[in-house]
Amino acid sequence: MADNFEAEMLKQRRQLYTTVFSQSFSPCGRFVAVCDNFGRITLFSLAASLSADAKEDSRKPVFTFQAHNGPVYTLSSTERFLISAGTGDIKAWSWADILKKSPKVQWSLSPPFNHSFDNPETNSVVITKDGMLCSGCGDNNVYLWDMQSGTCTNTLKGHTDYIHALTLRGNDQQVVSAGEDGAVRIWDLRDSREAVHILEPYKHDVCARPEQGRWIGCVAVDSGDDWLVCGGGPSLSLWHMRSMTPVVAFSTPNSSQNVVMFQEDQIMSAGSSPCVNHWSMNGELRSQVPCTPPCIYSMAINTNSASYKVLSAAGSSAKVDIFTNFGYKAFSMLVC
Amino acid sequence: MASSAGKKRPMVRVSRTDSSSNLTDKDSKKPKMDSGDRQGESASLYSEEEEAAQRDPAKDVNLYKTACDGIRQLLQEIQEIKGSGRKDAAAEIAERKIQASMHFITLKKLNRLAHMRCKKARDTTHEHKQKVDSYHLQLQNLLYEVLHLQKEITKCLEFKSKDEEIELVEEAEFFKEAPEEISKPDVTQQDPHQLTLARLDWELEQRKRLAAKCKDYEDQKEEISQEIQTRRDQLDSLLPRLNTVLESTKPLQEALKMPFDEMRQQHRMAQFLPRPLYVLYVQSSAYQQACDPALTVTIEGDLDAAKSSGPSTSAALDVDSDSDDEEGTKEKSRRRRTISIDPTDRRGKVLHKHPLQVNITIKCKDGSSLALTFHYLLTLQVVTVIVQLRPVAEAVTSAISGGDLLSPSSLLSCLFPGDHGNTTPNPANQFLLERARIEDFNDCVKEVGKPYVWAQQLAGLQFLNAEEPPKPDTHLSSTHMEKTMKALKVRVRARLALVQQLASLERGSVPVTRECQHLFQTKIASRLASWKSITYDDYIALPYSQLVVASGMVHDTDNFYLAVLQRGSATLTAAVLLSPGYLTCPPVFSLNLNMGTDHTASNDENIRAMEHEVNVHYKELLVKGSHDQLLTNQLQRLLMCLDVYLETQSNSSATEGPSEFGREKICPRVVRGPSRCKPFVFNSQHGFFTQR
Repeated sequence: MADNFEAEMLKQRRQLYTTVFSQSFSPCGRFVAVCDNFGRITLFSLAASLSADAKEDSRKPVFTFQAHNGPVYTLSSTERFLISAGTGDIKAWSWADILKKSPKVQWSLSPPFNHSFDNPETNSVVITKDGMLCSGCGDNNVYLWDMQSGTCTNTLKGHTDYIHALTLRGNDQQVVSAGEDGAVRIWDLRDSREAVHILEPYKHDVCARPEQGRWIGCVAVDSGDDWLVCGGGPSLSLWHMRSMTPVVAFSTPNSSQNVVMFQEDQIMSAGSSPCVNHWSMNGELRSQVPCTPPCIYSMAINTNSASYKVLSAAGSSAKVDIFTNFGYKAFSMLVC
Repeated sequence: MASSAGKKRPMVRVSRTDSSSNLTDKDSKKPKMDSGDRQGESASLYSEEEEAAQRDPAKDVNLYKTACDGIRQLLQEIQEIKGSGRKDAAAEIAERKIQASMHFITLKKLNRLAHMRCKKARDTTHEHKQKVDSYHLQLQNLLYEVLHLQKEITKCLEFKSKDEEIELVEEAEFFKEAPEEISKPDVTQQDPHQLTLARLDWELEQRKRLAAKCKDYEDQKEEISQEIQTRRDQLDSLLPRLNTVLESTKPLQEALKMPFDEMRQQHRMAQFLPRPLYVLYVQSSAYQQACDPALTVTIEGDLDAAKSSGPSTSAALDVDSDSDDEEGTKEKSRRRRTISIDPTDRRGKVLHKHPLQVNITIKCKDGSSLALTFHYLLTLQVVTVIVQLRPVAEAVTSAISGGDLLSPSSLLSCLFPGDHGNTTPNPANQFLLERARIEDFNDCVKEVGKPYVWAQQLAGLQFLNAEEPPKPDTHLSSTHMEKTMKALKVRVRARLALVQQLASLERGSVPVTRECQHLFQTKIASRLASWKSITYDDYIALPYSQLVVASGMVHDTDNFYLAVLQRGSATLTAAVLLSPGYLTCPPVFSLNLNMGTDHTASNDENIRAMEHEVNVHYKELLVKGSHDQLLTNQLQRLLMCLDVYLETQSNSSATEGPSEFGREKICPRVVRGPSRCKPFVFNSQHGFFTQR
């Protein structure tokens, strides 16, 4: 009786302090996996939650498993694998296994950290079309991995503080990294000795916000490679890539942006305020959609399945918000 | 007849004269007839009837036709003669007239014959008809007889003999067991009737034998019971002698300090305990002997009243409240019944306790003791507990915010989750209470004590099923005994320690015992500025406690405190939720940091992380040996977190000029991960701070 009660109480308290850091949709587009600060990966069924006769039960997690010993910060998917990273190794789980509810680590990559005390983490993982995996880590480096052999092929050094976010550019030939040191570096994956370009938003008056810090938490590149958007301590800003200058700053007073993406002709961003911002390219705030978590760390659009194309947003709450129409929140799914 | 005879006479005369007629063959007889007397005349009548029978009717028809033709001929001739007008016409006519008359006579005769035949045919028909009728009647009689006989046959077939109802032994068995003179195989093998008779005989024989045996046994039984009686008498006479022996040993017992007698006394009293208390007594004394010699278990109360209220088992299972009082108090009970409308009296009856009670005293290591008095409510069938804490002198500290933490009513509240002891655990009681106009059982707690669920379990009572009356289950009691005793001890220790902690918190110091010191950095710059208790309403009105309130963890039975932590210009206010199940349910902190603006869990991720540290990872603060220091350890942890927060804040915000809070903590990384979490976890081995 007492043991049960204690487990129940602990579960309740954990739920109160759950933070969801990242999400990834299954290749079939019917499921979404989310990872949290307790090292768990939770699977929800979009198909069940979005069906016409969905009840409260169908929005409950399909399956939860302990993936890492510490927080999991990033999830990404390939055709076959779900790749999770955060504390410790980068682990790959087979989607087929997860859907069968018997996840096993298919392969893992150990980043070559050599600091013993600062406990480096992996904050971001991106995968190129030709099977190269880039991981942005807590020891200021971006590691490049060959997924076939599982070996670390290269290390991109240059940041002076940890890497927050990575994104790919130029037909997957370049990787863009955003760091705590306030710099956005653009690297050529073929020739990786030095960064090709370095952007430092905190040095530009348009977007600098010294009271919020220098750090850049998110970066995104548009499909035509002409524009880059990044934000964090400095306010969210749109950069013209050929001239390497900030063109527009998006005004988010008292709120730092943790996640940003290009969506058709607009930019969507979210951060330390409980809403998703929709911006036009000229810096005009089109709409602000309220959501549950007070601070958002992850937004994702399900492009894997046309019938379940939804936007999901998650952050410092056990609730993952689902937007079927991007204009308002449809419902929340509870991680527990 | 006479007239017809009269008519015939002239006809005979005519036929005698008319030789030309066809009746000439009869004419020879006619003169005889004519000459005879009346007898002869009647014979001639007979003969005419015979004649009618003998003659062929077809010939008569022809005769009739010729006669008619003759008449016609003659009439025609007469007419011709008249027409011719001859002289001799008249004679010829006369002749013709005679001939015609002859024909008429023939016609008459024929007519008579026809009539006679007709009559005869009618007679014959009638005769036959009567014959048929009689045959029909005979047939009916026979049919009826057949039916009757069939009925008789069925009746016979349906007849059942009485012997068919008797269950007989199997045929094979019968032949095997029965003696030759009964079974008579030579006769019975062929004749089933004889076989049945024989089997019946055998049955009778066997039954006779068994009856004899039964009587034998009854006699034996009688004999044995007589023997028992004599022995019992013998034993009864032994008791007074033994008593005198016992009496004489008392001085020796006292001299040797061996309280056998007292124990015996207690055990004797135990017989009169109601069943649940008996279970409690047996199990707790067993526990005392096996595991915990410091436990004291005694029975107290009015033994005589208990004796008069009948054997313990009946008292325990009595549902009707009136039968509590037996012979001795009959008058009283009758009076009660008449005035039972009075609610106060009803109330007394509903809350009627068994005159005996079980006292259990639990001694803790530090010398304080917890006295529990268990009562059994006869009508409500629940066990209630009255609690009294006797702390040792040095453990008594006055803490204003400690309030009623040690008061008997709240000391054991939520010993197990949700067990407040304010409502009766027996669902069947609701009706009884309503009848006695007791709306809330809580009102009578002062009189009878609290019906905690664990007390029911110790007494072996379980009220899961509302319909069935509870049956004291020894197994239930023994499984819960150790756990409950331990929980009671832990509770007393935790409460005493808690009150001490609260007292020192009120003085503004956060005591950290030596065992826990390694959890914290020695130099902590933040200080506890104040500690006070607040009400439930105050607590739920706080803006920063809303997350906790929304999660449903807050109940109005909990205790609430407000702690203010300070360092320089920064003030951290912590609303503390302390559930009565303290230790199994650790305190919950809700934080609000004021540094010009308010930082709470909903707008500052790092404040959320601090709450997370103390509310979820409290287990790290439980050190063996100082298990009870949880609250102060949590506060100390909070002070340390506040230091880290302030020192790293100054560094990361990149403001110009020297910051207020110098960086004294060693942290390899100031922020980490997407949430830019500060290093709140202290690594005591190496003395630095990291992120979780």
